[in-house]
Amino acid sequence: MVSLSDRLDTTLAALADPTRRAILARLAAGETSVTELAKPFSMSLPAVSKHLKVLERAGLIARGRSAQWRPCRLDAAPMREVAELIDGYRRFWDASFERLDDYLVEMQSQEKKRGRKGKRI
Amino acid sequence: MTTVRVFDAPRELVWKAWTEPKRLAQWFGPKGFTNPVCEADPRPGGVLRITMQAPDGTQYPMTAIYDEVVPLERLVWNTSVEHPGNVSFEIRQVTTFVERNGKTEVTLQAFVTRATPEAADALGGMEQGWSMSLDKLDALLSRG
Repeated sequence: MVSLSDRLDTTLAALADPTRRAILARLAAGETSVTELAKPFSMSLPAVSKHLKVLERAGLIARGRSAQWRPCRLDAAPMREVAELIDGYRRFWDASFERLDDYLVEMQSQEKKRGRKGKRI
Repeated sequence: MTTVRVFDAPRELVWKAWTEPKRLAQWFGPKGFTNPVCEADPRPGGVLRITMQAPDGTQYPMTAIYDEVVPLERLVWNTSVEHPGNVSFEIRQVTTFVERNGKTEVTLQAFVTRATPEAADALGGMEQGWSMSLDKLDALLSRG
């Protein structure tokens, strides 16, 4: 069984390459053929196919079944898992920062009180 | 992931709030949470140990190791973060403190270090766009 953590690792590794990110960006506009995908890159079809295989293994893209024309399309589900992780982390810190804001106000008013006492002595 | 926040307090105070365990325990975690355990030894190799407690009593322990500590300026720690489904993730968190006109700008960067460094960089640049819808993916990825 593949754990969520392993899947996330695979997703992140697949996203680590700028060519693969460019391919995903292109696919965000709609499904297309490998030939079309290869056009903007100075790369052979087999090289592009290699990148597609990595993306496919990571579950980030799906390929059509037809032998003639196997269009690639984006599958955003694995990205969503990464997004959830990052979102959760961000929410945690946003919430903590709200409290830190209040706590700093409290700290400052305590310091002022202490300062006034100091002056009286 | 990067997040920036300006606090209306001098840097020295903000630094204290981040590094003195008694103070850190006062604000770490979402509203309603408490921190029954909070130990901080802010020096390279020192341990930060916090157990957060949710209002329903559930406890969430967290341990981090300080990697870099530049007083008043920079705090770097490595930690593992629990993800729903009990998956933990290695995260390197870089926090910097800059004072401007009596206010303090805190910048927090988190890198996922369990994946390749390149992947962590990509994540770092993608910021909140991760909470994306498909039509935003294009802009998001080109930024990464």
